[in-house]
Amino acid sequence: MAPLKSMEQEYPIIDAAFQKFCASHGIFSVEDLLMCDIDALMAFADKEPKSEKLKQGFTQILTIIDGLHQPWLNGLDLLEDAKWNKHVLSTGCKRMDELLQGGLRKGQLTELVGPSSSGKTQVCLQVASSVAKMQIGSVLYLDTGNSFSPRRIAQFVHKSSGSVLNYQADHIPLQKVMNSVLCHSVFDIFAMFDILHQLEINMKSQIHKADHQVQLLIVDSISSLITPILGGSGPQGHALMISAGFLLKKLAHEHNLAVLVTNHMVGGEGGITKPALGESWKSVPHVRLLLSRDHGSNICNVSVLKHSSILKYSTFKRNYNILLLHFPKMNMLLVGKHPL
Amino acid sequence: MGPQSWIVGDESAKEVLDRVFMERPFLLLPPLHRVPLRVGNVVELVGPSPSAKTQILIQAAISCILPKEWNGVQYGGLDHPVMFIDLDCRFDILRLSEMLKHRIMEATGSMKKRGGELKNAEKSISDRTRKPDIAFDEKLFIFCINRFLYVRCSNSFEFLATLKLLHHRLWKEKETHGNSVHLLMIDSIGAFHWVDRASTFLPLRDNDRCRKSLFLQGVSEAVVQEIKKLLRVHPMLIIATKSTILGDRYSSTSSEVKWNFMKHNFQDTSDTRNVTRNKLQLLHREYMPSVWQSFVTHRILVQPSDDHFATSNHQNHSLHVLEWLLPSLSFLDKFIVTDSGVSVVS
Repeated sequence: MAPLKSMEQEYPIIDAAFQKFCASHGIFSVEDLLMCDIDALMAFADKEPKSEKLKQGFTQILTIIDGLHQPWLNGLDLLEDAKWNKHVLSTGCKRMDELLQGGLRKGQLTELVGPSSSGKTQVCLQVASSVAKMQIGSVLYLDTGNSFSPRRIAQFVHKSSGSVLNYQADHIPLQKVMNSVLCHSVFDIFAMFDILHQLEINMKSQIHKADHQVQLLIVDSISSLITPILGGSGPQGHALMISAGFLLKKLAHEHNLAVLVTNHMVGGEGGITKPALGESWKSVPHVRLLLSRDHGSNICNVSVLKHSSILKYSTFKRNYNILLLHFPKMNMLLVGKHPL
Repeated sequence: MGPQSWIVGDESAKEVLDRVFMERPFLLLPPLHRVPLRVGNVVELVGPSPSAKTQILIQAAISCILPKEWNGVQYGGLDHPVMFIDLDCRFDILRLSEMLKHRIMEATGSMKKRGGELKNAEKSISDRTRKPDIAFDEKLFIFCINRFLYVRCSNSFEFLATLKLLHHRLWKEKETHGNSVHLLMIDSIGAFHWVDRASTFLPLRDNDRCRKSLFLQGVSEAVVQEIKKLLRVHPMLIIATKSTILGDRYSSTSSEVKWNFMKHNFQDTSDTRNVTRNKLQLLHREYMPSVWQSFVTHRILVQPSDDHFATSNHQNHSLHVLEWLLPSLSFLDKFIVTDSGVSVVS
């Protein structure tokens, strides 16, 4: 944040005298002002010879601070925003949509947790193809492990279960569908930050036309970007992880994106596997899905661990709604639901 | 004013009580009803994610924004606006609106049931008024949801800027709604812990001894100070959630953590708590700076449990356990989360 000195040009009232007064109380930047008790400072200013001018300076500072927080809203504003801007994107998978109450909600961060080869990337590719096929905007796919497969997406587009998607969509040429999936290879968290910041700038300046607006952002997998920086006792790794989470949520909220990330599993104590991004990450995603696959079987199970809009997510968690994903058939067929 | 009038006193004990109850009323917000909470208290809801913490906040918010009575129907609300500061940035309005609709329908439904027991003449009146009744529901819904005030923050500076300007906002709301905000909710207070812990002030000058080097500490101090200042002008009950972000850290080999582990263990055994409790406490290691800890007046621990509870309509709900840590109460409350919100089962 800006040092007071640099603000003098824009706001002449923050002049040398004001800066000197602030400096005498150890305040040099807007940051410092946020951390201090402004009322107490103003009381001090009263005793100064030119108190009137200092007070004007503080009024200016308060308007600057007023611009630093996010807008005040009420429930009705939020409800309107949810109604008009935060739609759900179908995953192209009927049972999965049912499980998620319609699909991936824009403005929310959905996480897939699961051990290796439990179908996380398959779900990502399926969702990408489904959204691309709808032709409502583009899909940004950040690939961290070279696991992105355009061929697989093409297969999904061809063979997507007709019952879920619009029949009309089948007539859209494959090239057009494939054009709306943008893939970036990302191998470290800083590259991801670069891309996300660029995306934010693009969305803000609206370089893209409305129909090319990014609708869905996929990071497969976010855990492989973050785990390398988590080691050691310093808090920097965790700080980057939480910042990445806030950036994704901010993008999702402000630009009405659905965000889908994956998180792999690692061996924990006593041989129990746990998500690579653990306790601190838990408070980041809105929705958390657990994927698992029985040994030697082609069937994947999906259950909801957390869902911010389902009231009874706890019952979902216990009942283990199971989705069956058959891999050899090249499309996701949902066979049934088996409460445990 | 002579010394005589000093001794005479200004008001009787009854008057004091009446005034205090007016100015600082008790807020009964189940499942947080074991200890009477009142305006001015700072309640911390601790628990892993997910453990229905936000759910409890939403429940409390709805109890607060609902009116006591609306068109002859008792809703039993506190009739005050609430302020929700979202630091986790994942609040879902749809959940609140669903629950609010449920609560309104429950209240009108029970009213109608009672209407059926009344005399026929009166029943026909209630039948005739049924249609406008439904229209009024929508009005009530809008009326209530308008009193839910929300702001989100995605870093500590935004949070501080929000707190600094909250004062003005609360005055404005008081003017528009006629009632002042009695409940301020923060979800969740430790959201920026890691980011703040990694940040330090960049010294602008050499030999700068005035500047605080511990950013995390400084932010907490500023937050507590701002809230204290706010409470002086706007008496409010504060409920803040805190997720246990350090859950799996105790197994770390870092010496700092080990030391904390031993210290904590020692404190707990000196508290003559049993071994399981010890482990429980360990999982919920404190990470907020002491200035916040001492600011908190009530602390409640919520946890999901493996037990289930079957409701009357044969739905299985998993039980959550609620325990009062400050003041320490010996029994546990169990609650379930249903469509209409949190309900205590034992």
